[in-house]
Formats: sequence, structure tokens, C-alpha cells
Amino acid sequence: MKYLILGASAAGISCGKTLRELDPNGEITVVSADNRIYSRCMLHHMMGGEKSVEELNFAGDDFFSRYNISWIKETRVQKLKVGEKTVQLENGNILSYDKLLIATGAHAFIPPISNLREGKGVYPLRNLEDALAITERVKKVKDVLVLGAGLVGIDAVMGLIKHGLHVTVVEVGDRILPMQLDKLAASNYEKLLKMKGVTFYTGIGLQEVELDEENWVKAVKLQEGRRINCEMIIAATGIRPNIDFIEKDTIKMDRGILINDRCMTNVKDVYGAGDVCSTSPIWPIAVKQGTVAAYNMTGTEKRLEDSFGLKNSLNFLELQTVSLGLTEAPDDSFTVMLQHYKNNYKKVICKDGVIYGAILQGDISYCGVLTYLIKNKINISHIDKDIFDIEYSDFFKMKENGEYEYTV
Amino acid sequence: MMGKEKADKGDDIMRRIMIQRDLCMGCLNCGLACMAEHNEKGKSIYDLDLEDLKNESRNHIGLDKERRPVPIFCRHCDEPECVYTCMSGAMTKDNETGKVAYDENKCASCFMCVMACSYGVLKPDDVGKKVVVKCDMCMDREMPRCVENCPTGCLYIEGGNQA
Repeated sequence: MKYLILGASAAGISCGKTLRELDPNGEITVVSADNRIYSRCMLHHMMGGEKSVEELNFAGDDFFSRYNISWIKETRVQKLKVGEKTVQLENGNILSYDKLLIATGAHAFIPPISNLREGKGVYPLRNLEDALAITERVKKVKDVLVLGAGLVGIDAVMGLIKHGLHVTVVEVGDRILPMQLDKLAASNYEKLLKMKGVTFYTGIGLQEVELDEENWVKAVKLQEGRRINCEMIIAATGIRPNIDFIEKDTIKMDRGILINDRCMTNVKDVYGAGDVCSTSPIWPIAVKQGTVAAYNMTGTEKRLEDSFGLKNSLNFLELQTVSLGLTEAPDDSFTVMLQHYKNNYKKVICKDGVIYGAILQGDISYCGVLTYLIKNKINISHIDKDIFDIEYSDFFKMKENGEYEYTV
Repeated sequence: MMGKEKADKGDDIMRRIMIQRDLCMGCLNCGLACMAEHNEKGKSIYDLDLEDLKNESRNHIGLDKERRPVPIFCRHCDEPECVYTCMSGAMTKDNETGKVAYDENKCASCFMCVMACSYGVLKPDDVGKKVVVKCDMCMDREMPRCVENCPTGCLYIEGGNQA
């Protein structure tokens, strides 16, 4: 059997590893634009100097030899021909496959703001090359603007402040991390970041970018007219799936590739996993999809049981936060329970005995139970306990092999 | 290399700390044993300074809604959520021994594993908030120290070479 995997990040790597475990003799090839295996989620640690480039490798230095996988690196895919079951690479080579996994990920989206795409000194933070370019450029600048205060934007801020730069953050939402946090939880991070000299403009967009004679960024103008000097911009403004090698009307799309719960596309023998899909672009989902795809590619039926994507853990400036499901009650049929002590903030959003969302800031110990209860919509109304005290003990059951499971 | 057959067989015989829940009386000997075993100042119980917050137990005893004690110990799951969610490569499943190992030097302290463990076993360390407090089955020790110190027989070992 000839397996071909496009992409060497979370999804591609987990698929390759699982394929080898399931099929010791199959021929496995990975093609990737990346020339290293690295964790995108750790790029800011490299920018900040806490991790070396080598330490970003999440799969082990010897991954490809250990699992006997051929790797064609630094090579993009030009065209997928599903009829012929071949993939044409940018160097002209053509690879055939019996089973294909598309795990090409996504690229940074830079919005069409005047001069933002044209200017020099504007960087996304998506690939290792971006992080390396930023790390080079920061040596020559003092003022940096970060556009977008989502997870990538705040990651970028963390990497930048280590270099002693003055960082300004512009975010359209009314707070930083608007997808993950409510106002109070966000304000706690804003406070900590302000103490590090970071300036915030929330609830406002960018009007235009001003360039100097050589097209380098020199300032930005906000929508309200304020002008901010900056010599560099990090555009943390979302991602788009890498699908340009896929011919129209072959694989079904909805922003990303559409897959079923066996990670199959509508085209026979073509599977999808990770950020290239229309599912939530988070690490654990990419890993699980890669694994599930591998099972199905080798002929063992396996379904993705967990596609809960509304979860994030944050750890900035020694303040930890976990955000699960809803961050605000949609209407007053929901009950919101709050706990506030010392530097801890906890919030749980319930309706009819089911928890729909939670924010835990400060103490996040053992919070995986909440993740389970939320993603599986477990009714907890029969548990006569303070909601913040509910724990796995209340559902304890041990399987014969010693693993835990839930009694509900 | 671990073929599918071997991985499946491994599931059946994997060495685990088993729990006879009704026998737990919440004496916390297991927690003390764990703290002593992982104390960097020495493994004897007399080396253990309980006022030093660095000493943390990697297992804990919960209380259910009837206030009955319940041992919450890492299961080294067959399909470990903490491993799937780890974006640094710090958390790995060894298909040979069944152990889920944690390498704090690789860890990026994102605590996605804490969020992902369905059974609420994991937490960040209290002092540094840098590493994850996670059972290592006492590494190469013949018998995990918590099991050895359980006076009621609530904890016992099954599977592996010890079966």
C-alpha cells in the first residue's frame, strides 16, 4: 500500500506515526513545504529565546527514520489529480498514491488594509520562517504594532516584549482574546501586559499603514484618526486553509476541506486532517484527525469521537487560564456562577443541569473534568455539591483493565 | 516497532496501579509516599518537609458527593488525551511499557494536558507553575511507592511482568 501525506505538522505527523504502527510494511511518504518538524504553538518561545529552533521539534529528531517514512521537504504541492490518484509537486515530480491524506494546514491571512500587504516590515506569525524573520528584524526596531489580539497576537506580544521593544496592540474586539475570555479575565491579562509596557487599543480597527520612501512601515493610522509610529507590524489576523492545489469541483469545501467523522473527503481514498479542514483549527483535533485518518486509510473503521473545539489553555506572564465552551451566557435562561478569591477567577455557565461554558483563571488544577462535562453535555443536577467542587470522584468507575470511565 | 497486533495485546497486559475503591479510607499514605519518592532532597520519609510546597503528590484523594474518599491516580490511558493534546512532545505514550511519560525539559507549560485529562489527574506545579505534576510509575522502581505504602490493599498492581 502506498500512502502519501501532504503536510508535516500535528495532523501529518500523527497520521504517519499511526500508519506505521498499523501497517509495518506500507510505503509512506510525507511531502511538506516545511523543512523541519516544528510546533507552531511554540514559535513565540523561540522568538523570546526560551526555546531553540531544534527544541521546537515535537516528534523527535529521528522521526522519519524511526518510523521508516520517506520525507520530501521544502516542496510544495502544485496539483492534486484525484482521477489519476497523483500529486504533482512544484519541482515537476509526480507522486502516485493509493491513499492520500491532505494535511497542508493553513496560511496567515493579511486583511486588505491600505499598504498593509504592500509594506515592508509586515510579518505574519504562522511559520518558522516568519518567527525567524521577526527575530532578525526586532534587532533593528524599537516600536512594534501587533494587529489582532487573539491567541497568535498575544503569543507574538510575549515573544516581542522579551526584546525590550515597545509593543502596541490593536484589536477590533472590545477586549484582548475576545474568543477565549470574558471582559474580566481579559482585563487581568491586559493589566499584566501594561505593566510590561504594552499599550492597547481595543474596539478599534486599522485605517491605513504609512510607508517611508523605501516602502518600510513607519506608522499606522487608526479608524478614529490616531496615528501611531511603528517600524514593524505583526499581522495576527486569522488564517485560511492551504487548498490552492485542489482542483475545483473535486473535493467539497466549506472554507476548508469537508470531512466526515472518519476523516474522509467526498473523494474516494482522499482523507483530510488538521487546519486545512473546516473543523476547529486547534492542535488536539489535528492530532486526533490524523490518527483517525490513519486507521481508516489502513482499512480499520474508526470514527472521530471528539470534535469539541471551543477549548483553550493560556499561560501568559505566569497567569494560567482555561476557557471552555461559552464565555458569556447567551440569555438569562442560563445561570452564571462566579467564584472570586485572591488571584483566582472562576466562572461556570449552566442551563438545566448542563454546563455550557467555563473560564478558570489562576488555579486550573484538575480542570479536565470540566472539559469532559462540557463537551459531553453531562447532566450534573443530581450531584448535590457546589458546582466548583464537582470532580471525577463523583463519576468514578474503573474498567477491568484499570482505566477510568464515567458513570453518569 | 509496535505493529497493531502488539499494541492490542499490550493493552491487555499493561501494568497499571489498580484501585479497590471501597478499601480507601483516605489515610493519604499514598500521597506521602509519592512526595517522598519524588523529593529532590532524599527519598526517606524523614527527608520530607511538608511545609515545603515543592513537595507535591502526583496522585490525590478526591471526595465524592457522599464525602467518600476516591483515589485519583494517573491511568496511563490507552488513548491518552494528554498525549494527543501535547504540542511540545513532552507527553509521550510508550507502546511497549504502556507508560505515559512526561519530559519537563521539553514542556512548554501550555497546560493543554491539564485541560485535556478527562479524569482531573493533572495540575501545574504549585510553586513554579512551570511543570505538570504527573505520575511516572516511580520510573524503574520495582513497585510504585504509593502501592507499597497503601495499608488497606486499596492500591495494587496488575499486568506487566508483575502479574
